[in-house]
Amino acid sequence: MDAIATRNLTKVYRGHIGRGAVRSLDSLTLTIAPNEVFGFLGRNGAGKTTTIKILCSLLRATTGEAFVMGQDTRRRDTRKHIGYLPENPYFYEYLNPRETLDFYGELHGLTRAERAAEWDRLADLLDLRDIAGQRVRGFSKGMRQRLGFAVALVGNPHVLILDEPMSGLDPLGRRLIRELILLLHGQGKTIFFSSHVLGDVEQICSRVGILVKGKLTTQGRLDELLNRRVNRVEIIAAGLSEPAAAAVAARSDGVRESEQGRHFFVNDLDAANAVAADILQSGGTLVEFTPIRESLEEYFMREQETVS
Amino acid sequence: MRVLAVARNTFREAVRDKVLYVLLLFAAAAIFGSKALGWISIGQDIKIVKDLSLAAVSVFGVLIAIFVGTNLVYKEIDKRTIYTILCRPMHRWEFILGKYAGLAALLALVTAVMAAVAAVYVVVLGGRLDVTFFQAVLLIYWQLLLITALAVLLSAVTSPILGAIIVFSTYVVGHATSIFTELPPQFDGTFSKRVLEAVYYIIPNLSNFDIRAEAANGVPVAPGYVLWAIAYGAVYTAVLLTIASLAFQDKDV
Repeated sequence: MDAIATRNLTKVYRGHIGRGAVRSLDSLTLTIAPNEVFGFLGRNGAGKTTTIKILCSLLRATTGEAFVMGQDTRRRDTRKHIGYLPENPYFYEYLNPRETLDFYGELHGLTRAERAAEWDRLADLLDLRDIAGQRVRGFSKGMRQRLGFAVALVGNPHVLILDEPMSGLDPLGRRLIRELILLLHGQGKTIFFSSHVLGDVEQICSRVGILVKGKLTTQGRLDELLNRRVNRVEIIAAGLSEPAAAAVAARSDGVRESEQGRHFFVNDLDAANAVAADILQSGGTLVEFTPIRESLEEYFMREQETVS
Repeated sequence: MRVLAVARNTFREAVRDKVLYVLLLFAAAAIFGSKALGWISIGQDIKIVKDLSLAAVSVFGVLIAIFVGTNLVYKEIDKRTIYTILCRPMHRWEFILGKYAGLAALLALVTAVMAAVAAVYVVVLGGRLDVTFFQAVLLIYWQLLLITALAVLLSAVTSPILGAIIVFSTYVVGHATSIFTELPPQFDGTFSKRVLEAVYYIIPNLSNFDIRAEAANGVPVAPGYVLWAIAYGAVYTAVLLTIASLAFQDKDV
């Protein structure tokens, strides 16, 4: 059984006066296996949030179906399995974190004792004890995101759907979220998240899907999608005489200088090894030898260009 | 229980709304100010105070129902607090009912406070309170329940400003529904007459809840009438809340 599955999911927003209908999502068919960390990528307006909102039953699909843990998302009890963190989550400003979690626990159908246990579990996991009595009104972005995560985890759902969980966070906050996602993955959860921060996606996702103008153009394992061949090698050398440097430069595809030494760029791994050997034979020192592979960002840009 | 959780929160939020206290202050001013009009009519001051105080309870109750009620669901969508609520394993009607129940509880408190102020004032002025006064307060509250149901319905489907205009118009027209049936003879057989008659049947007749004159004059009102008015209000309220739940069922948020 897939943790998440959609079949030909389409969403058309009705047009207003002077504006035509907008097809935000076009026949999206997607499957995510249990315990996968799936990165959902796309530019602003590509349809990521629309997909997430349909999965969480906030929007009705125009056509198509969506399932979570094998159950239709339109069914009420399906939502027991879903923990949702919206982009920039908003909570009642006049409640404190403890009251907030209690409220969501009650909506989830937990008893008073279960809610108290949930508070203990989540306050420890997300470090909420220090701010337990403070009203949400004065919270920073990072505190809100921590609370948002706690709210999503109330009731211990199997599937976590996170909309841009790292947007607007400082590097420390992003690291915290990354570590949390990996921890939850370790606990057997399925995590579906959308993001703009491709570096983060590359670090934690096992699979990704790329959405362009409402259509899924790619889905697959990162190591299969990315061209893992070495595209280029950067060699930094120091201590070369001018004639030796000129000879090495002649065999390279590009050269530049920095405080570290001379940077030679070679477009082929074997040729790069030969160049490195030349440098050593000429009495130079090898400071760095860096094979450069395609990053997710480069792949993403390539996808966007292909479609447009 | 999920409805109770939503209701409790709605109540808690509304109690912390400053608009509520401003309106309560105005209501108190209107109740105490009613004595001024009493002086104009010699020997009638207690009657006038009772009548105007009950009118103040009704009008300020309606204003609170409109200000809070027409924002109730709209604000949750606008501030996006609704996302994390509706994605829980709950029915959407439970959310609507919870929001409604929270505001109904708030209005019960507010009506009780305003009525208590009015009752104490009447007694201090040397007046006597009878059962009709309290029946009048009960029916004012029952009318507020109906008005609130309309406000909640509109807050689920339209903007607070449009909602407030519609609810206030309904309140005004609902107290004068007879104008739709007592038309001059030249209207006979016209299309306008049929439309106005249809409006008459749609708009609740709020004068059914108005026994202020009886309360002011100490004229007893039969308990049967009060029960009938309560049943009338309950049916209208149930229909409005059902429509609100249906309208909200498939709404994209």
